[in-house]
Amino acid sequence: MRASTGRLVIWAERCRGCRSCQLACSFTKLGEFNPGRSCISLDRDLETERTAPMIKPLCCDLCDGEPACVDACKYGVIEFQPGPKRLIDVRM
Amino acid sequence: MRTSGESVCYVDLTKGKCWREEVTPETISPYLGGSGFGWALVAKHLLPKVDPFAPENVVIINPGVLVGTRTLGSPKFTAITKFPTIASEDERFYVGSCTGGGRYFGIGLKQAGCDHLVILGQAEKPVTIHVTNGGATIEDASQFWGKGIEETSVELVRRFGDDTGVLAIGTAGENSVRSALAIVDRTNSLGRGGLGAILGAKRVKAIAAHGTGGIRVVDPTAFTRLSDELLERAVNWSRRAHWVKLGLAAGWSTFKHTQNPGIWPKERWDELYGEEKRLETLNRVIACASCPLSCRLRWVIPDGEFAGEPGLGSPYSKSATSGQLLGVEDDRKMIHLVTEANSLTGIDYYTTARLIDFVTRMYDQGRLTKEDTGGFELHRDYSTYQQLFRMTAVREGFGDVLADGWMRLKKEFGLDPQEYWYAGICKGMDFIYDARPSKFHPLMMTFFTRPRPHHGGSHTRTNSRNKTIEEIREQVEHWGLPKGTVERIFTEVAYSGKFNVGRYTRYAEDLMRVKNALGLCTIYTYQALIFADDMARLYSAATGDDLSAGDLVQHGERISNVAKVVNIREGFTRADDRPPEVWFRPMEAPEGRIEMRDYYETKALTKDDVARILDDYYDERGWDLQSGVPTRQRLEDLNLAELASEGVG
Repeated sequence: MRASTGRLVIWAERCRGCRSCQLACSFTKLGEFNPGRSCISLDRDLETERTAPMIKPLCCDLCDGEPACVDACKYGVIEFQPGPKRLIDVRM
Repeated sequence: MRTSGESVCYVDLTKGKCWREEVTPETISPYLGGSGFGWALVAKHLLPKVDPFAPENVVIINPGVLVGTRTLGSPKFTAITKFPTIASEDERFYVGSCTGGGRYFGIGLKQAGCDHLVILGQAEKPVTIHVTNGGATIEDASQFWGKGIEETSVELVRRFGDDTGVLAIGTAGENSVRSALAIVDRTNSLGRGGLGAILGAKRVKAIAAHGTGGIRVVDPTAFTRLSDELLERAVNWSRRAHWVKLGLAAGWSTFKHTQNPGIWPKERWDELYGEEKRLETLNRVIACASCPLSCRLRWVIPDGEFAGEPGLGSPYSKSATSGQLLGVEDDRKMIHLVTEANSLTGIDYYTTARLIDFVTRMYDQGRLTKEDTGGFELHRDYSTYQQLFRMTAVREGFGDVLADGWMRLKKEFGLDPQEYWYAGICKGMDFIYDARPSKFHPLMMTFFTRPRPHHGGSHTRTNSRNKTIEEIREQVEHWGLPKGTVERIFTEVAYSGKFNVGRYTRYAEDLMRVKNALGLCTIYTYQALIFADDMARLYSAATGDDLSAGDLVQHGERISNVAKVVNIREGFTRADDRPPEVWFRPMEAPEGRIEMRDYYETKALTKDDVARILDDYYDERGWDLQSGVPTRQRLEDLNLAELASEGVG
């Protein structure tokens, strides 16, 4: 059985703002690409155009241990570590 | 046949009305959708010979079919309009398409349910167009008029939310500066040749787009499998790490050879504007939507007169080439001018810098005088350049002349743009590449064969240096062309070298139309990370229209022909598809004489050689060799009989 618990680690500094995590999340959950309805919002700092994915904890179910956002992000922003607890850990 | 149609959102600024129309799959399919169908809309809505600044001109914005999906770099949208660049001495104007990427704007249009945004008429006072789920609305923008691009864009994002895409014009667009462009999502430029001025004439300061609609593909399993495969290809690309570190500036190792203006020794240019120098100002690299490479930049000038000044976009080729042309050794000074262009005025940096280079040297030679310039002295120094950039954006004094571009210099002062010494000019617009250091390859040809003299994303393998003929041929073999066609392209001829540039260019242009219709970034094509048959599989999985690479290219040909016919209505013929004179004048560079040679540098090309290459291009297109006009037969073969009946063929 696949894990439904574990730790999502967000390496915010690596984010390039490509929105692939949002696109993958919504596609997996809803069968359509819809960034606004994904379980990830993109925190956008208008001063610097720095972005960082923010996981919505009540929405994200970790995709049964294979989070689509982790695979979709080619910049290594989101990591998944299986574990007994459900945690989201943001590292700047 | 596609399984779904597309929505067209109309905005009539004169009447103050907005509405939406649905278009059937049968109507969309022959044009692929996106900008392909956008050209069909232009052919319908744009009457011939209207003044580009008149209310009758149209602007049609089309996100690509794959925009908003997760695949290999699909952020692009296309804007089509009649551009205000004065293209000929008898003042004709081309109808062209320009493409841009970004993170929010294209997706915003799609999620709002607008596959095409058609802007008609002219508003009485400044407006923004707000596109969202309910369609488009026209809103007062008095508070933004006179403000910069950055200020306007940030305010609109604050107003409508972080996922809002914004296309905005600056003060140059408001002032009808003919080269003025637009900036999208703060990071991507759009529309050299004057899209910004056209929007300014319509009094559209900005377009904001966001929505909540889902974007679906017909075969999710096949689409995901193929997209994953393509993304892995990009992630495993040997140069990716370099690209991710430097953004577009990662191309410097090619650029410093192919874009060299030939004034400074290459080593000096490298020292002043090369990769090491670039890292001093680089703050962060930003990706467009769904892009695993990323090429947009945020920079911060670290010290000197402009210390601490941030900017967004891509200052790399602009500052480097212009720095050398204008003799400015301090990259920070040139980057500052890029910052002002991108964030405040929206002036076209390439065009303005080259015009300034031209007129200041003409002033030095006494061909322009203080009387001509209204008393303003055109010195070859940075302070003068700064003032001329500013004066052009507001049409002040001699800046009013520069704001009208190359043809006005000819008309008013007899300064022929063909005298200009770098890159070349065709149809009133300066090219960003020069075929002498670049070599004469298909992208160079598209500068004068396309209606709008810009490459438009026609990049192929030949854009990089030193590719083997096998590498070049491999890419073409993915285009799904009949064997005889491939043989024609790769039959060596004395006037073109190992491959026939004219015949090759026809298909490169058609594939460009396909990429733009789909919304795919051209960078992946010329790095050979995606091929035409991959595009066909992506398109088929997304739309349900089962097309091969060959089918796609044929659809691209149809789109190319529509674009051509629309421009023939404006009076353009073969006489306008003219390579610039400067290409035939050797560049006297510090490392020696640089002539325009074929890709493998077997010979210097003459005017007669290029004329024969152009013959082959028209022949491959099935167009009349003398006039450059599509034949009636060719248009009918492409199911464009309606256009043929307009007396074009």
